[in-house]
Amino acid sequence: MAVLSTFTNRWVDYSLKMLFRGWFVMSVLLFASGLDLRAQTTREYEVKAAFLNDFAQFVEWPADAFVGVKSPIVIGILGDDPFGDSLGEIVRDENVDNRPVVIGRYQRVQDIKACQILFISQSENKRLEEIFAGLKDRSILTVGDFDGFTKRGGMIRFVTEKNKIRFRINVEAAKTANLTISSKLLRLAEIITPGKD
Amino acid sequence: MLQNIPIQRKLMTVNLLTSGAVLLLTCLAFFGYEVLTFRQATVQRLSTLGKIISANSTAALAFDDSDVANEILAALKAEPRIVAAGLYGTTGKLFAQYPVNSPASTFPSAPEQDGYHFERGHLAGFQPVMQSGRRLGTLYMEYDMGAMYEQLWRRGEIAALVMGVSLLTAYLLSRTLQKQISMPILALAETAHAVSKQRDFSVRAVKFGEDELGLLTDAFNQMLAEIQKLNATLEERVRERTGQLEIANKELEAFSYSVSHDLRAPLRHVDGFVDLLRKQSAEKLDDRGRRYLDIIAASARQMGTLIDDLLVFSRMSRGDLRRSKVASESLVHEVRDALQGEARGRVVWKIDSLPQVEADAAMLRQVWANLIGNAMKYSRTRDPAKIEIGCDTVNDEFVFFVRDNGVGFDMQYVDKLFGVFQRLHRADEFEGTGIGLANVRRIVSRHGGRTWAESKVDGGATFFFSLPKTPAETKG
Repeated sequence: MAVLSTFTNRWVDYSLKMLFRGWFVMSVLLFASGLDLRAQTTREYEVKAAFLNDFAQFVEWPADAFVGVKSPIVIGILGDDPFGDSLGEIVRDENVDNRPVVIGRYQRVQDIKACQILFISQSENKRLEEIFAGLKDRSILTVGDFDGFTKRGGMIRFVTEKNKIRFRINVEAAKTANLTISSKLLRLAEIITPGKD
Repeated sequence: MLQNIPIQRKLMTVNLLTSGAVLLLTCLAFFGYEVLTFRQATVQRLSTLGKIISANSTAALAFDDSDVANEILAALKAEPRIVAAGLYGTTGKLFAQYPVNSPASTFPSAPEQDGYHFERGHLAGFQPVMQSGRRLGTLYMEYDMGAMYEQLWRRGEIAALVMGVSLLTAYLLSRTLQKQISMPILALAETAHAVSKQRDFSVRAVKFGEDELGLLTDAFNQMLAEIQKLNATLEERVRERTGQLEIANKELEAFSYSVSHDLRAPLRHVDGFVDLLRKQSAEKLDDRGRRYLDIIAASARQMGTLIDDLLVFSRMSRGDLRRSKVASESLVHEVRDALQGEARGRVVWKIDSLPQVEADAAMLRQVWANLIGNAMKYSRTRDPAKIEIGCDTVNDEFVFFVRDNGVGFDMQYVDKLFGVFQRLHRADEFEGTGIGLANVRRIVSRHGGRTWAESKVDGGATFFFSLPKTPAETKG
């Protein structure tokens, strides 16, 4: 008996110890992953901001998309701004084909005047069809990062693959808007035809 | 360095050196140009390729897609000499590479200055990746020049072979062609050698062509002909003149002999009758008459001596030399003893040991008698008179001398000393006929020697004569 009880005690001891250890490891991991997730989100939007800016170099707009030869390229954000300061930092002193790059922030599609690249925030998910209807016949490169964006008529959608930001491009939509996307850019992207996302 | 080698070798050396140098310089220039243009072309090609790759990889760099960038770089396998290529982002980190699986140490850790440079058989360098005036990164490429150098090396081998063959051809050609120049010169040299060695002026150099060497050969042959002609006429003329001179000389000698001889008879009459007159009629004459008779007798005697000397002189000139070994030293002692007579004790003699010579003993006695007699005569006024006789050996001659401390003579007249009837002193000072030294000179020169003298007025005189150690046959 004595032998048995000793054995039992030991087993309980061991189990408790293991439980405690497991909990500790789990909580540390959870905490760390939470930190990591938040940091990841910030970094993700920094990269997306840079990419938004870089699109200007690989997309050709028709001449009537600008007011004048020296008019700026406007990167617009429709809805909530997920970029924080990062986009502002990136476009500062930026110059594409002698055009400065500026940021425009909009809440409604009717507010959009001169704009070349429009990032449609996740907050506009529900109004997307309405927005695209409002942008019809305008040479604006629409960029988004939520499911179904290209399928529903958006031009470029950011996706995260293996911790890397990649993009899908709806060439048809761009063509309809009179935009020419460089083959160099297309090479990096997954080409989407609407109806299949 | 070519000075002393034969002309054939000289010509060939000159030819081969010249053509070798030309070939070498040509090859070097050609290769230098080849390497330079090849390098330039390679740099040009590589940077063009780089521009294409850069242009293609801008989006990949901008959107951070290293897979696509690797793919773009992989297109470089079309050019197998590109051993490595890499794309660096703006941060300077290696972003994509070719070949994909090569270790990171293959690439520079960070991009360096734009531009290409050669190192260790490779061409490597950096060039910017630009898009719309914005620098997106840097492209690195490394090109293996090994194949090119191998090609150049092969060309070098071919060039060396060509050079070898060319030099061999040049050697063979020059060996044949140099004869055009060397043969006439060699023929000339041979002829000149034959002429100078055998004194044969009848040979002629062979002429090979109408060039400068032909002219030279002609001129040389002409000179030979001229010399031959001159030689012939010269010998002719010398023979003629010598004959004339011999005849004239013989006539003159015969004349002087007969004159001297014929003069003796009347002189003997004068002498004899003066003697008779003195014996028979001396009492009838007064003192003045007797003095006149004495003068006549003395004059006749002097004239007799003069005639005797002249006869000796002419005999010395004509008679054959009868050479024998003569011990000079004993001869000198004999002559001195014979001449000493009245001067015994007045003269201090110093006679060195003298060599044996080969000469006509009678004639040599005449020489010594004259020289020693002169020395005694002209040192008569000295007390003590010193006479030194010796001999030096100079080259292949014995040089004998007789030195006295007598009155000497003025060196100004040294040339006249050995002439017939030439006297430097008045007869009432020192008696003499003026024939003695002429005789000495005649005898010595017939023995192949020379005569000369040194003196100072009142400072004594030294008379020298030389005799060759090995007597040559001399005419005379």
